[in-house]
Amino acid sequence: MGLRSRIARFASAGPVPVFAVAGSGMRTAVQDLRLQPDVCLVDTPRAAAILLIVGPTADADADALARLHDALPHPRATVAWQGDDGDLLPTLRATFRDLLQGLRASEPALLPDTDAVAWRDVGPYGQGGTGMTGGTPYGRPMAELGIDRDGLRLDVLPVTLGPFFPRLPAGLVLEMKLAGDVVTDVEVVASRYSVPPLAESASPFIRALSGPVPIAELELARARDHLRWLCDALIAQGMPALGRRALRLAHAVKSGEGHRVRAFAGRVRRSGVYRWSLPRGGGLPADRLTGQGLGPVARAAGLTEDVRLDDEAYLALGFAPYATDADGPSGWWQVRLEEAARSLDLAGRAAGRSTTIVGRVESPRGRLAPGDSPTQRALALIPDLVIGLEWGDAIATLVGLDLDLDEAAAVAPPQTLQATA
Amino acid sequence: MNAAAPLEVALLAVAVALGVGVYAVAVTDGLVARIVAGDAIRPGAAFLAPVRTAAWLLTQTRTSTERPDAAGWALAPALLAGLAVFALTMVPLGPGLVVADPDTGFVAFSAAIAFVMIAVFLHGWSPNSTFSLIGAYRYGAQALSFQIPFLLAMLATALPAESLSIVRIVEAQEPLWNVVRQPLGLPIYLVVGLAVSFWGPLNLPDGSDLAGGTSAEDAGIAGLLWAVARSSMLVAVAAMGAAGFLGGWYGPLLPGPVWMIVKTVVLLGAIVLAGHLFARVRIQAFVLVSWVILIPLALLNIFVSGAFLL
Repeated sequence: MGLRSRIARFASAGPVPVFAVAGSGMRTAVQDLRLQPDVCLVDTPRAAAILLIVGPTADADADALARLHDALPHPRATVAWQGDDGDLLPTLRATFRDLLQGLRASEPALLPDTDAVAWRDVGPYGQGGTGMTGGTPYGRPMAELGIDRDGLRLDVLPVTLGPFFPRLPAGLVLEMKLAGDVVTDVEVVASRYSVPPLAESASPFIRALSGPVPIAELELARARDHLRWLCDALIAQGMPALGRRALRLAHAVKSGEGHRVRAFAGRVRRSGVYRWSLPRGGGLPADRLTGQGLGPVARAAGLTEDVRLDDEAYLALGFAPYATDADGPSGWWQVRLEEAARSLDLAGRAAGRSTTIVGRVESPRGRLAPGDSPTQRALALIPDLVIGLEWGDAIATLVGLDLDLDEAAAVAPPQTLQATA
Repeated sequence: MNAAAPLEVALLAVAVALGVGVYAVAVTDGLVARIVAGDAIRPGAAFLAPVRTAAWLLTQTRTSTERPDAAGWALAPALLAGLAVFALTMVPLGPGLVVADPDTGFVAFSAAIAFVMIAVFLHGWSPNSTFSLIGAYRYGAQALSFQIPFLLAMLATALPAESLSIVRIVEAQEPLWNVVRQPLGLPIYLVVGLAVSFWGPLNLPDGSDLAGGTSAEDAGIAGLLWAVARSSMLVAVAAMGAAGFLGGWYGPLLPGPVWMIVKTVVLLGAIVLAGHLFARVRIQAFVLVSWVILIPLALLNIFVSGAFLL
């Protein structure tokens, strides 16, 4: 056995580096992979050996998926998983081992390795178009001049974010313009949601639209949803280990255990995240958010909008929404953490009570009704929130909105949904 | 003055310090991450996982991007690692155990730190890719901000020694360590040290909001070399912190080099722990704190140290 194969055999027993793409309704399944000690979820396809595609993906993402596949270095493999069968880990382990030991051939590229657009010999000097720079080099828009925040004219760089940017839900595509690292323009190009994954699923928030659901179940689910969001948000702020702890807590908490969330919230506060990591302010004024039903985002701006206030069962339990004037992403964090704790306490004293209103529900993200999701309304606010922010602040703001395309898909009219494969 | 160890021995000590140091950083980082996350600790896996990951990176092929600056891309990790090695050759690892002890050792060490900016910028610029370029921009702002507080914090250690030689700086701490004499020095140095080695809360160029930043396009050996170079710089920074502020090789009972190892490991442990417990600092906040708070504090540190020496 040569040295090379010895090294490969030794490496094949290590953590499996996976770049995971969450298809419709599979976000939590992918997130739970973070708790597997043998799997390492990486942020960039260059650091992965296996492209893991979980659940159905939109047809419109096929091109981007092919490009993603080709960005993985050799040896590489693709694993498709439907999210329910229990043998994913052995499959990943075996695929990684076979790949490294040469028992499985590395997958060839799906796309030709050529320039996206020919870009030569058009103009008189052999350039690709007319004018000084001429045309669109290799199919990419050139940087252009624009006024930056200091009144200087600087290069403005067009950047497409998504559909598989690891910090945002899969399927969300943003066209951004950057001056240095400051976002000067942003447009939501696509928020692809495909099959209605939650329609018949176990999500109590979707079921609450059509019939009574026990409040204990609903509030426990809300707390867990907030803690799952916290996992992603902590990773985005550079604390992956603390994020895993939040995910563990999301699995472990039970009704009446608000104190556990409060203790963890103290830990989050001591990380300095509110002091030096999240942007200062950065929310929208309360009058801009009034009536939008944006849940924690609205309540962090001092609004007490909450569908639960219309529900007699909640009022009988002494429910009062938690609102603060903390504003901006750091306010959104604080409201979600406090809400998660209060939801658990509420679930603990809900006894056998169920919701009494149908047709709308307060989801973890805000007012949810058929054909009307808080995520859709939040997407419309992105330009107002993000333009003018430095890149890190922009990502913290986008993550802080807790966009959930699956929830939006579950209540969307069927004709707006995209085909999947 | 101690008898100087032969050059070969000193060079070997630097090589061993870097090799063991980089491995120790990887193992500690993995262990601390698991403790913070509340994962089960598997000691065998903790010691083997970094080696297995390194082995995998060796078998992975390198990738390229569209029209990269291939030479710059290959050179960046070598430059960063070279700077770490160069910096460590100035640091006495025990009494007389130093590769080079010029009168200007402090200046040479600081020059190496100043060049880190070139290495990181080159690493982000070369792949011709958006996220790595933004990471490079960011490190530019970060490095311009930490240079002056770094120099000032280090310069104060030269006052009691009345020399820029790092061996003299350590020897001047025999009666009293600089960490006691100049209580502001070590905290400033550690903050700046995190920024130099872009670690934990000051990992702005390779941050998670940039999907890896300057290393987002690295695969295989390129990624491995960059990770090793980055950890090497961390080891060099920690060793210099031990020499400049914690009295270097001085300590009771144990031999000098052992004290140096203990102190370096303590600083490395503190940095690795900070990496998992603290949130990433916004670049704007870091620039502001560097210029408005750290520089005046470092100046105050110098004035007070100077006044005590009069």
